Amino acid sequence: MIKPKRLLSLLLRFIAFGTTLAAVILMATSHEKGTFFAVSYEAKYTDTPAFKYFVIANAIVTVYGFLVLFLPPGSPIWRLVLALDLVFIMLLISSISAAMAIAQVGKNGNPRAAWLPVCGQVAKFCNQVTGALVAGFIALITYIILLLYSIYNFLNPLFEKA
Amino acid sequence: MVLQNEDKLEVGYSSLQPKPKKWVLLMLRLLAFFATAAATVVMGLNKETKTLVVATVGTTPIKATLIAKFQHTPAFVFFVIANGLASIHNLVMIMGDLFGQKLDYKGLRLAMIAILDMMTVALISGGASAAAFMAELGKNGNSHARWNSICDKYKTFCDHGGGALIASFAGLILMLIISVMSIIKLLIKPKPDSTTVVP
Repeated sequence: MIKPKRLLSLLLRFIAFGTTLAAVILMATSHEKGTFFAVSYEAKYTDTPAFKYFVIANAIVTVYGFLVLFLPPGSPIWRLVLALDLVFIMLLISSISAAMAIAQVGKNGNPRAAWLPVCGQVAKFCNQVTGALVAGFIALITYIILLLYSIYNFLNPLFEKA
Repeated sequence: MVLQNEDKLEVGYSSLQPKPKKWVLLMLRLLAFFATAAATVVMGLNKETKTLVVATVGTTPIKATLIAKFQHTPAFVFFVIANGLASIHNLVMIMGDLFGQKLDYKGLRLAMIAILDMMTVALISGGASAAAFMAELGKNGNSHARWNSICDKYKTFCDHGGGALIASFAGLILMLIISVMSIIKLLIKPKPDSTTVVP
């Protein structure tokens, strides 16, 4: 019978894997073509290095999440998983931060640098990118919960004294 | 100089032998504090003013003043705040290491230090990467979105921003090493001594 602790950890890891996969798919399939005053333009995620970095980082974390799902409970590799969780959280934070910085400029523009917002012309692209960012954010929060949970389980003898 | 300090302490308090690892951690924290503080200050004071002659009316030229400040970009604002918080965190940790050895909360001192260090690493990495990509956008522009690069017009602003970014990345690497050391300290700590009173 699966213990409730193991079930909770497995459920959280599955949610994390699912949301990173969703973020990758949403960002990678976001492209839109259109015309604006007889000027044709096309918006893809490869236009900005920040979005490319977002896709690559979330793809790496998806593969990692998929592999960890199949790890048996008693194996000593779980300590390595604890360390790798921290590393991948840092990667996720950095990728979301970068993508959000560029997406904010795309949505609001920067009048002082004469950068016009582009979301008015490519609304579908903007919405899909927003969806990908939201999925990435949920994945980040899930990984943080997982990390705190693993640390708590690891330090349980220390906490029992308190 | 470090050896002299250790000898002095050994003579004075022979029961509490400071391990050499403590000084390494303290030196790393000091370096990380300087790196993040430098990044905060350099980006916080990043400002460039340019005056252009827009038109000439008769003989008097009309000047327009263009200012580039870090507050114009939310990514740089986040960068300054994140590095400021990281330097405050390092300062508090250094003070706690030097003067507050006895401060403890139910034996969780090392766990709290490790968790706070991890949070600071996450904060710095977020701020540094957002500012890095925004700086890349400012330097190269984006032809697809018709955004021109601004670094050829505001060269000093870009240079100072780049310097702050390098300092922040150095602080990030140092903070990562410190975090790993705090976690190792937490995991190999011997069992809590029996002198703590259990209520």
